[in-house]
Amino acid sequence: MPGPTRESNSNNSSLQPGAEEHIPPGRSLWADGIRRLRKQRLAMVCFWIVVFYLGLAAFEWIAEVRKWESPAFIRWNEIVGPSYQKPMVPYEWTTADGKTEIRREWMGTDFMGRSTFRRALYGAKTSITVALFASLISLAIGVPLGAAAGYFRGWLDELIIWLISTLSTIPYLLLLMAFAVVLRDKTVFGLELRGITSVYLAMGLTSWVGICRLIRGEFIKRKESEYVLAARATGCSNTRIIFSHLLPNVFHIIIIDLSLRFVHFIHAEVILSFLGLGETDKPSWGAMIDAARAELARDVWWEMTAATIAIFLLSLALNLFGDALRDCLDPKLRVD
Amino acid sequence: MTVYIIRRLLYTVPIVVGVLLLTFFLFSVVGGDISQQIAGKNADAETIAEIRHEYGFDKPLFWSLDSQFIDHFRKALTFNFGRALDREKISDKILRGVGPSLSLTVPMFLGTLVLSISLALMVAFVRGSWLDVAAVVLCVAGMSIPYLSFIIYGQYIFAYKLGMFPIMYMPEESLLTSLALPVLIGIAAGLGGNLRFYRTIVLDEMRSDYVRTAFAKGLSTSKVLFKHVLKNALIPIITSVVLSIPYLFLGSLLLERFFGIPGLGSLMIEAIASRDFFIINAMTFIFSLLIVVFTLLTDICYAWADPRIKLE
Amino acid sequence: MKKRTAQLRLVIMTLLVPAAFLPPGCRKKPEPSASERMVIRVPMFSKIQTLDCGNLTDVYSIGVASQIYESLYEYHYLKRPVELVPLLAEGMPDISEDHLTYTIRIRKGIFYHDDPCFPDGKGREVKAGDFVFALKRIANVKYMSQRWTDWNGRIVGLDDFREYTKGFRRESDVDYSVEVEGLRALDDYTLQLKLTKPWPQLIWYLASAVTAPVPREAVDYYGKDILYHPVGTGPFRLKVWERGFYIELVRNENWHGGTYPTEGEPSDWENGYLEDAGKPLPFADAIVYRIIEEFQPAWLMFLRGDLDIMQIFKDNFAQAVNPDTLTATPAMAERDIRLLVFDDPSVFWIGFNMQDPVLGRNKPLRKAVSRAIDRQAAIRLFFNGVHKVAYGYLPPGLEEYDPNIVHTDYAKYDPAEARTLLQEAQRIHGGPIPPLTIAIPGTSNLDRQIGQFLQKYLEDVGLQLRVDYMDWPTYLDGLNKGKLQIFFSGASPSIPDSLDMLMGFCSWNWGYGGNHFFYSNPEYDALYRKAEPMFPGPERTRLCRQMERIMLEDYPAVFLNHRVSIAIIHGWYKNAKPHEFSYNTAKYRRIDLEKRNRYKELLNELKKKPK
Repeated sequence: MPGPTRESNSNNSSLQPGAEEHIPPGRSLWADGIRRLRKQRLAMVCFWIVVFYLGLAAFEWIAEVRKWESPAFIRWNEIVGPSYQKPMVPYEWTTADGKTEIRREWMGTDFMGRSTFRRALYGAKTSITVALFASLISLAIGVPLGAAAGYFRGWLDELIIWLISTLSTIPYLLLLMAFAVVLRDKTVFGLELRGITSVYLAMGLTSWVGICRLIRGEFIKRKESEYVLAARATGCSNTRIIFSHLLPNVFHIIIIDLSLRFVHFIHAEVILSFLGLGETDKPSWGAMIDAARAELARDVWWEMTAATIAIFLLSLALNLFGDALRDCLDPKLRVD
Repeated sequence: MTVYIIRRLLYTVPIVVGVLLLTFFLFSVVGGDISQQIAGKNADAETIAEIRHEYGFDKPLFWSLDSQFIDHFRKALTFNFGRALDREKISDKILRGVGPSLSLTVPMFLGTLVLSISLALMVAFVRGSWLDVAAVVLCVAGMSIPYLSFIIYGQYIFAYKLGMFPIMYMPEESLLTSLALPVLIGIAAGLGGNLRFYRTIVLDEMRSDYVRTAFAKGLSTSKVLFKHVLKNALIPIITSVVLSIPYLFLGSLLLERFFGIPGLGSLMIEAIASRDFFIINAMTFIFSLLIVVFTLLTDICYAWADPRIKLE
Repeated sequence: MKKRTAQLRLVIMTLLVPAAFLPPGCRKKPEPSASERMVIRVPMFSKIQTLDCGNLTDVYSIGVASQIYESLYEYHYLKRPVELVPLLAEGMPDISEDHLTYTIRIRKGIFYHDDPCFPDGKGREVKAGDFVFALKRIANVKYMSQRWTDWNGRIVGLDDFREYTKGFRRESDVDYSVEVEGLRALDDYTLQLKLTKPWPQLIWYLASAVTAPVPREAVDYYGKDILYHPVGTGPFRLKVWERGFYIELVRNENWHGGTYPTEGEPSDWENGYLEDAGKPLPFADAIVYRIIEEFQPAWLMFLRGDLDIMQIFKDNFAQAVNPDTLTATPAMAERDIRLLVFDDPSVFWIGFNMQDPVLGRNKPLRKAVSRAIDRQAAIRLFFNGVHKVAYGYLPPGLEEYDPNIVHTDYAKYDPAEARTLLQEAQRIHGGPIPPLTIAIPGTSNLDRQIGQFLQKYLEDVGLQLRVDYMDWPTYLDGLNKGKLQIFFSGASPSIPDSLDMLMGFCSWNWGYGGNHFFYSNPEYDALYRKAEPMFPGPERTRLCRQMERIMLEDYPAVFLNHRVSIAIIHGWYKNAKPHEFSYNTAKYRRIDLEKRNRYKELLNELKKKPK
């Protein structure tokens, strides 16, 4: 990994007789981190890849809600060719208006003759939505609990630690599957859990432990730091301290954890789809890979490849970007 | 030392209780009454009622001496898990599955361990160079490919197309040939993450002061690595090894499913598919127990190795 | 500390390394078939549940159990249409004038398999009392048999017996000596049944492994483990059951004997099914059922010659079947592999919940859904074009199937008409039709494909369809309780009697009774009541067909297809005539050992041949 850039020490003006006092402008952790990040080309490329995926997902989502008809690539349900057409092999096709033309599908078609390429693009929306919701749920549980445990300590801390330990003791996959199976088709607090919602919930409910521990650790560390003591001395309430002082300072940890957890959720969706617990109505990368098992026996390799490549690029980009972000935001590596 | 061990042992009690509470909540409260499912398609209401009574679903949940809650705890702590949906004793099923699972995971684990550590040491030699960067990127790439894709492609190319390995585990074939491919795939899929992990450990060690001293003294990199770093890096390595042992028993769910290995992973997946809460419940408890035991073992080993605690 | 960590390392490695060589549970392997021993090797695609005759429900369990158990009657192997012949009974039953009393004589000299549950391990002779005991056991509420619904309200006094068993704590506490009036052993070899009302179907139930005689000794000896220890009278007995792996049955040396039938259908001569006429059965020394849940390895094993028979699925269709003639492809023919194509009486449908507020009172809506679906396309896409379109409900293979049904338009594909009907439907509904929901029991890839197919076709006529992929237990629950709006299901008759299928539309069978459509039509009900006590004949056939038409007119379901199955066998597997209803067919099958032993050579020769 490229190491942190070494900034030259700012001029120690007191050594130069007659020079004006030059106090360098203070830089926040973020501004500094982002500045360093910008200089790493690989990380920036990854950033833009992630942005592209997110944008694609958002576009597909809007297009679906507003029932757009064009551009062509959002029409994933349209039959564009015969069943299991090979990629890049030209074929004759008669459109609905009776025109016959020669077409080529980049990534072939599925069993019904729909474009694999378009379905893979739609899959971005499915997977990213799952990962987003699951992340939000795990953050919504993990951060408050971690903050409360780290800040207030005492019996609350013991309780939360007990909860964390209990959940960590159960193997993750077992826990995830158990939750997903049990929650399926249940009605919780009047909300009917249809299919994919139970998946979000299961993932969120089983993944909050990591971020909780991190936040708790940070809060414990910083609770006794000078600026908090100062704030308390001036009579700030606990709420204010937590929300205005401590939380913003752990924000970077949340972001880094989020970026790495995102990848993890995307991969978990694949496994859950394979187990029959994932999204089933709309195209999803997991479903495409699951379909591959039977398809490969007939030498239909393109659906699986499309989904694998899509997941691979996004995971790679997120992983590398997350790593770079962590390196750049690590205050220990700052030398100013 | 004894005090420490006793204290740690006592800590495990609330954890075990917690796990039992969680499984009870999940399977009895939320999961609920599955007598209809046990009874099957053709059963009439009376048979279903009988089954409900036999499995105790008609007992009160909490507020009674003979409640489902008490039953749950009693059954788990006496390891009497009863029978699964297909009427076979759950303990029989689990004992049957341990062998195949271990035959898969232990070679996979050892292979990954040896390979990752050796590669990590090799990468440490060239730290900071472009080789190192390339290695890291390759590792991340490996981690970015979905596990399922590894398995499916591996099976397709090496077993189906090239015919180098049998497609599935067949008792007629020798053990070695049947398990070779899944083990290799498992190692390949996990290599990225593991290599990165061990590389981090080794490099962290190398940043410490005593290593700098060693280099300053003029020791070659290989001497430093093997005489000093490896020994000290062993502690986090061993921790991760011991903590991984319970997972070895669980087997690799996906590999077992794809290669038809009748281990505990397969058992788990079938239990999920048939919503056999009894099996899922039993296995969750057993594995949590295993993890508690091995975590305790790790802590004790740490304490034993750490002179500070000895003096307590 | 150095020493400590090294020691630790050693300890851990010592623990782990030997574990690496643990053979998988030291399980039994199926014995390699010596080339002189005739072993039939059959794949099974799902685990079997039980071998306890009183609780057999799934097809695989019944399949294996039927080689071990025998009942009073059995199906004639070759004659079609199917007919029953006596097996453990002496001749067909004596039926009283009012059709309420059946007197059946039992053959003498039938012995159970040798089993440890008997004193000195020798199987004793079967007595009439054993049949009585078998049925009483099914009635025992504590035994929790799923087969009780077949006998509910049929035999005089048996329901009271069931009530009586409710007073006991455990199954083994029940006192079976209590007399049941309609179920008596007049003497050791005479059985008498008294029915509450005429039940023409009874005779078919007496040909099922479920009514096999049960020795009291086995039940007392094995208790709940009896599902692993079947004690029957059949030509095979259980040798090994490695759960989830394989089941091995071996020849029963004490079998009372039987011979291969000497007559059959006219076509049996050409097909070679009468080559072994009159010869003593069984031919095979053993049967091995291999449980292989994935299709791919099973197919490869078959091609290698390690399995004698295999099923044709979507995935091996192209390789094995010539789609135009439904015969074996040259690649198969040169290995002397043949196909068996046969009607598998069954019907699959998209069912409507007639109590649903949107669907129930809106026939044009239901009819529109029916017109919107292209059954031919579905069959092409999902079943290789082999299955037959279901024009009606009763499948071909049943006596009452009406060949003229193919001229009706219940199965017509007409999207234009569907759209017109929808306008009418909207009027009735009082607005645009809301999205409909269909429940599909399964989450596999095939299920998803079916769901997407239906969505597409309905969307094309302007209907929105949501698909709910459920696991089997949730689906069943919803189905029985009427919680599903539309559902994807199917049925096949377990006995060759149309009433068995037609009762699925009777209003008194709502929910658990099997009428998942919650359909109610008084005219239909009346006709059913009329046909119920009738024995098969032209009058009954007329009534059945009339009922079918009445029901079809109401469109409570969209019937899709009747299954046509294709089995693929090696040339050495003789006498493999498919039987739609009988399961105890293994005793008739023979292996041409010489041919089988030469198969590997044949494969080598084929490899060397220039392509």
